[in-house]
Amino acid sequence: MTTTSAETSLAGVPPFVPGTLEVGPDGRGHLVGGRCPECAAFYFPARSVCSRCLCGDLERVPLCSSGSLYTYTVIHQSLPQFETPYILGYVDLDDNVRVAGQLVDVEVDSLELGMRLTTQVEPREGADGEQVLWFRFRPAAATEGEE
Amino acid sequence: MTEVYAVGVGMTRFGKYPDRDAFDLGAEASLAAIKDAGIDPRAIDGAYFGHVYQGMNAGQRVTGHIGISGIPVTNVENVCSSGATAIREASLAIRAGEHDVVLAVGLEHLSSKFKGALAPEEGDIEGAVGLTMPGVYAMRARRYLTDFGLTHAQLAMVSVKNKANAAMNPVAMYHKIVSLEEVLASRPIAEPLNLMECSPVSDGAAAVILMSGEKARQLGMGRAVRLAASSLRSGTVESEPSSMTFEPLTRATANAAYEVAGIGPEDVDFAEVHDCFSIAEALRVEGLGLFEQGTYLLAVGRGEANINGRLPINPSGGLLGKGHPLGATGAAQVVEVVRQLRGEAGSRQIDSPSIGVAHCRGGKAAGVEGAACTVQILVR
Repeated sequence: MTTTSAETSLAGVPPFVPGTLEVGPDGRGHLVGGRCPECAAFYFPARSVCSRCLCGDLERVPLCSSGSLYTYTVIHQSLPQFETPYILGYVDLDDNVRVAGQLVDVEVDSLELGMRLTTQVEPREGADGEQVLWFRFRPAAATEGEE
Repeated sequence: MTEVYAVGVGMTRFGKYPDRDAFDLGAEASLAAIKDAGIDPRAIDGAYFGHVYQGMNAGQRVTGHIGISGIPVTNVENVCSSGATAIREASLAIRAGEHDVVLAVGLEHLSSKFKGALAPEEGDIEGAVGLTMPGVYAMRARRYLTDFGLTHAQLAMVSVKNKANAAMNPVAMYHKIVSLEEVLASRPIAEPLNLMECSPVSDGAAAVILMSGEKARQLGMGRAVRLAASSLRSGTVESEPSSMTFEPLTRATANAAYEVAGIGPEDVDFAEVHDCFSIAEALRVEGLGLFEQGTYLLAVGRGEANINGRLPINPSGGLLGKGHPLGATGAAQVVEVVRQLRGEAGSRQIDSPSIGVAHCRGGKAAGVEGAACTVQILVR
């Protein structure tokens, strides 16, 4: 079973897309979205104005790190910077926002729509060879332990 | 309100043109449309050009080729709906009384820009995590097939149908009929979608001459087809996850167009829709209200969407068979609808249609259903 021993080294590593990830005081990384203080809608990526109620004071908040798999694919042809094949899914996080990301530590044959997943924030080599922070999803059981 | 007519159409064959550029292709399509209309090019008093990747003043680079100068030229970009948006802008200018005769062109030389799968918008987080356009539609396909209890083979029949139609279309990129087995055996691009379920990287251009009703009567334009509606909508930002098996954006755009044209989906005789991937055709026609949600693939299996079926879909071969040079696609759809309504579609002619629809949509960014959707209704 893989574990993220890299957590201690996440602080100070820039996110792969500006403003989308941050490292909390506990040293763990989170996706960062926008939350409307008026109607409680969540957005990812964060936006300036809530499209539901037009409130302009959206807060930047860490998103919930657990969710369920809405749908997925195995990508066999991609842009040069991605090694194929890889699994990619849309995950509905528990704070009611949908995020696309790659899936790891899971076999294609064991994927099921609705399965529980956890966000894993980790360092990766960026386009210029420097370390960047990015994220993938993994089966909830693999990090949370069997219930 | 001023009526708008399509009085001339022309397009290049879609394909790969390593020795030509987008402007040369745009010139060929424009000259063909002018010739088809039989008008003096000096009568054209405005021009609109749609493209995505062709750089600055692409339209002026075309008009400069073909002896048209001095008139207002406007370039528009609206992802895969760019050519359709050029037609819409041209029609609005005529309705506003600004122009009488307008050239609307879509053009793209995509093979010099991309080799394989296109990514979502540059800098978008979904592209940055490795999501490709085939990946987006593959995920919609998986959910659709699961939710409605359908098989990949039922989905792949869309490609079989469209490639058979393309084989009868001289301007289509592909002229090869394929079997269901061949589609299912083609290499996977993004599961469950295989190569033959993805529209190809293509080059090409398509052009339409639009005219005010008054001018068309004055010039005696006998083969004119009325552009009864040309609607455009952009996708809404999602404030919560929504079903990816239905398209509110297509539905909203279609409803706007039906209202302007004074018709309903039950009046439509055939449609050209944005089948960038096999699954996309099902999502489009169900969004347009032409088929009930979850039923389209069953209808395809019964032959209802064939050229001789109850409601032919993509008689041109669609994007899957004809090709998909992004900016040119929306204009090429209108070219096909006009040819079908005039009864000039040769061996792929639908039996005496009177109302045709062209649907285009494109663009993808995280948290937004789609960037631009157009629905145009043409009436003979």
